[in-house]
Amino acid sequence: MEGMVDIQIHEAACRGCRMCLDICPTDVFAFDEGRGMATVQAAEDCIACLSCAYLCPSNAISHHQFHAVKNFYRDISFCRRMERFL
Amino acid sequence: MSQRDEEELQRTRETLQETMNFLGAVAAGLEDAVGESAKSITYLAGKNLGHRVCVGARRTNDVEEALVELRRVLKENGCLWTFDRFYSKASRSTSAQEGADEVLLVFRDCMIRQALFSYGHPQKGSLCNMMFGFFAGALETIMGRTSRLEIKHAGENACLKCLTIDR
Repeated sequence: MEGMVDIQIHEAACRGCRMCLDICPTDVFAFDEGRGMATVQAAEDCIACLSCAYLCPSNAISHHQFHAVKNFYRDISFCRRMERFL
Repeated sequence: MSQRDEEELQRTRETLQETMNFLGAVAAGLEDAVGESAKSITYLAGKNLGHRVCVGARRTNDVEEALVELRRVLKENGCLWTFDRFYSKASRSTSAQEGADEVLLVFRDCMIRQALFSYGHPQKGSLCNMMFGFFAGALETIMGRTSRLEIKHAGENACLKCLTIDR
């Protein structure tokens, strides 16, 4: 099993839209009503799907120490092999 | 792992991913041609494959042991579908529903997701259904029980799926 993912929310960037709370499948985030922004309440439950980071309109969420999947189609040597089909 | 082994693994992955990209294009075409039925077709194809690759697998009735055996079979067959059990902060056990066991699985490196993203196909389509069929067939062979694998969340870097195994 992977170690705990490190999630950071850039406080100045967060607009409190709650989209990260809606998209997260494992309820990693909570909403701080007082400050009107999202907070990380259960980082250990993060599966690093990165949906919150992709969805965040102000790009306020970043992940560290997670397993990044191998995107072969972005790999130069793989793309050369794919040219046969394109 | 030696550098030669790593290179060999990389070559295998690339070849496998090329095949999967081709399959992704076929599945997308199938969805256009036959609509929702495409999911049934790919599900049955996956289930058949699951049955076949697990013929020599060790039989067990324990969910945890069955998943370990399934991982071993996948690895033995050169399939790089790595998955981990997901335990939430609140619960660290298999949840038992009425007449079934439920486990949450996280899929990280997934050939299907990469194949779909390569050509902009959406997730949760017929190719994902092939994987559900594969798990159903494999677990039916290993455990002698029927099961369902449903996507709870399809992400860019990982997917969370719920495996329900009937008792």
